[in-house]
Amino acid sequence: MPKTPTSQSKSANAETVAFRGGGFAPRPIGLVGAMVFVFLIAFWEWGSRVGWISQLVLPAPSEAFAAFQELVVSGLLWKHVSASVTRLVTGWISGTVLGLLVGLSIGLFSLARAGLVPLVSAMFPIPKIAMLPLFIIWFGIGEGSKVATILFGTFFPTIITVYGGVDNVDRNLIRMGQSFGLTWFSIVRKIIIPGALPAILSGARISASIAIILLVAAEMIGAEFGIGAYILLAGSLMATDQLIAGVALLSMLGLTVGWLIGKAEKYFLNWRA
Amino acid sequence: MRGQSLKRRSVLGFAAGFMAIAIGGEVALAADKINVGALRFTSHSASFVAFEREYFKNNNLDVTFKFFQAAQPMAVAIASGDVHVGVTAISGGLINLAKKGAIKVVGGALHEEKGIDGQMILVSKKAYDAGVTSPDKLKGRTYGITQAGSSFHYMAHKIAQKEGFPGSEIKVKPLQKVGAIIGALKSGQIDAWSIVPHIAKALSKGPAVVSIGKITDYIPDYQVTTVFTSAKNASQNRDLVKRFLAAFSKGAADFNAALVDKTAGAEEAEKMVKLIHKYVYTSRPYAKAAPSIRNGAMRINKNAALNVTNVRDQLQWFQSEGLVGKDVTIDMLVDKSFVRTY
Amino acid sequence: MDLRLEGISHNYGSLKVLEGINLAIEHGKILCVVGPSGCGKSTLLRLIGGLERPSAGQVMQIGEAPSDSLNPLTYIFQDFALLPWRTVAGNVNLVLEDQKLSRQRRKDILENVLERTKLSDFADALPRQLSGGMKQRVAIARALAVSPAVFLMDEPLSALDSQTRELLIEDLVDLWTREPFTAVYVTHNLAEAVRLGHSVAVFSRRPGQIRQVVKIGTPLADRKVTDPELIDRQDYLWRLMKDEALAADLELSDA
Repeated sequence: MPKTPTSQSKSANAETVAFRGGGFAPRPIGLVGAMVFVFLIAFWEWGSRVGWISQLVLPAPSEAFAAFQELVVSGLLWKHVSASVTRLVTGWISGTVLGLLVGLSIGLFSLARAGLVPLVSAMFPIPKIAMLPLFIIWFGIGEGSKVATILFGTFFPTIITVYGGVDNVDRNLIRMGQSFGLTWFSIVRKIIIPGALPAILSGARISASIAIILLVAAEMIGAEFGIGAYILLAGSLMATDQLIAGVALLSMLGLTVGWLIGKAEKYFLNWRA
Repeated sequence: MRGQSLKRRSVLGFAAGFMAIAIGGEVALAADKINVGALRFTSHSASFVAFEREYFKNNNLDVTFKFFQAAQPMAVAIASGDVHVGVTAISGGLINLAKKGAIKVVGGALHEEKGIDGQMILVSKKAYDAGVTSPDKLKGRTYGITQAGSSFHYMAHKIAQKEGFPGSEIKVKPLQKVGAIIGALKSGQIDAWSIVPHIAKALSKGPAVVSIGKITDYIPDYQVTTVFTSAKNASQNRDLVKRFLAAFSKGAADFNAALVDKTAGAEEAEKMVKLIHKYVYTSRPYAKAAPSIRNGAMRINKNAALNVTNVRDQLQWFQSEGLVGKDVTIDMLVDKSFVRTY
Repeated sequence: MDLRLEGISHNYGSLKVLEGINLAIEHGKILCVVGPSGCGKSTLLRLIGGLERPSAGQVMQIGEAPSDSLNPLTYIFQDFALLPWRTVAGNVNLVLEDQKLSRQRRKDILENVLERTKLSDFADALPRQLSGGMKQRVAIARALAVSPAVFLMDEPLSALDSQTRELLIEDLVDLWTREPFTAVYVTHNLAEAVRLGHSVAVFSRRPGQIRQVVKIGTPLADRKVTDPELIDRQDYLWRLMKDEALAADLELSDA
């Protein structure tokens, strides 16, 4: 009887070495994320329909969607979104620009570092919500205090990521610049800032999220329109369907901002592998 | 397999948690232990008196106070069953909870009465100097409120209504917290506000705030706060609710006699202030707290009677502002079977 | 332009790294510096180029730098030091942007150096797309762009694999043969030293001192890997260094 190769191996007391190198390597699986969303919402809707989830506890997704449609139909959606986005953009941009300036000075000048780092560490953890009453006095109940809340919320984390980014710029590149006789300004502009850009952009991702979180707090003060004001009103009226619609709106805002920053990273950091 | 069953169990646990909240974890306790929601305001004194003078105990109720910072969470706590009875103003949230069949108003508490110091209309010095010397001049002015649909919002609109201009002509500014409103008023960032007398009197003594009128002139017999409980208690635990109202009324009677009508004599008034000081302004020394407590004394409805006429007016106002649905009826909100209504 | 090191000593805190270095760097010649690790040879290079100040002694420049030299003392680094966000052309341009040059002149220089380093076709590539050898050729192109009087090369081929290294040695020999340049070439690789050095300075271990300066007479273009004379020179250098290297290897490094 002719022996097959396997039986031959068997007789030679040989076995395939067992594979044990799998796992621990995340790989992208398409659509699963979306399916989890769809499944959860369907489950939630079903639970509400059969009365398994009380309306008091959690409104059905369809009710939240109806509340959202109401917003669209009444034309209020645009008013709320534009008011919030205006505040977000002004607050975030001014906070980021100021944070960039301060963060760069800390990264570049020892005196600024010695003087400002302890100050930043002391002020960063102060909850901006706790400062609201003072913000009202300082900046008024108009747009000032709302923008200020977001500004302060994004200012400190930006400082920290910027000077951290500057610190992490390859010193050899800076030496190289000096060895070729580049001016100080050229070194900052052409070596340090682009080198710190990855850190600055991931900092922007975080500060933008913080800005959205602070939106609700910012719109606590005298805001008639705005997603945060809408959520607050829904909360005080126990209109939970509107509450969920408003929160979903914030989520969508977050997704949009994340997507935009992803685009910016692709554009500015195309030199990275 | 094991992972799967674990997952399933946690899903079930999650669901069970939901159910517990939904049904209301309110198992009737043997010795009628109940949680009463309260704010540390003088207007909640009837409950404090009933507790301290054992009126609750005499009605076979073992009361524990749960203190809240604002009316809104108290309403939610009643809906969830964590608190059995509460006293607070009628708000949009309260009405919506009533609409969802969670809570019912069963009696009256604080109300405005002509001749007794009630809520006052205040303006900043800046606005006063600019000519806002009486409430009819509030047209086009800013007015501080905590949230849309709060009692402050209602008062602002009632002033406008009586003075003959649309409510939208008063620009209400939601500032969430009383403290924030006070700050904004003092610094002149809002023009006007209305508030209970002890806060109003203290503020108008200062240089930055001027009092220009009384709410009672605009909303006579304003039912400021009401007693409310879960809908389930109102329908299935009627005896318990009745006993609570009886004790509460007795406390209210003592309070009215001592501090509102002042018929019980100075000694009793002093005792009453001391009793209340155990709960209100506890961080201040007695000598400082006493005037505020006395100033804050407003009528609490006798026998917890309820001014349904005014409650209906409030409900209609909420509806006209689009803050609650048009389909909410007064019967969804109020159970009139416990106390005298008018 | 020649350079002369006069009594250079250097220390980091209490740690002496260089002691009493006297060395002449002749115009148009490549001086290789070899020595065991930690002998201060890279430090010496930084001192020569003015990136660090010696604790004692001085670096003298004898004669004027040629007038067309934009950056007389120019480094080539072991890690290439290319800006990853700039293309090949961009990296070369970087060192020209601060110079007062006409746009046309800049363009001419760029084309010229890319041509000399055989990079003309890769002007728009980003560093991450290049192999190690290509990256170092970009760095060489960048250095050539400022027409240095002296190249200061800090182990320029150490980060490369041996085949690439061989190719680049040939490139460097080629460049020198076409247009002789002055260079201080720091390496720990004796084979590189004997292939590229007109003279080789052998350093002792820390604190670095010059043990001997070995001259190699064979013209650069004629040196072959298998040349018996070169093998002999390399062997001679190794014997000079071996004991030092052994001792250096046993030292605890808490510098």
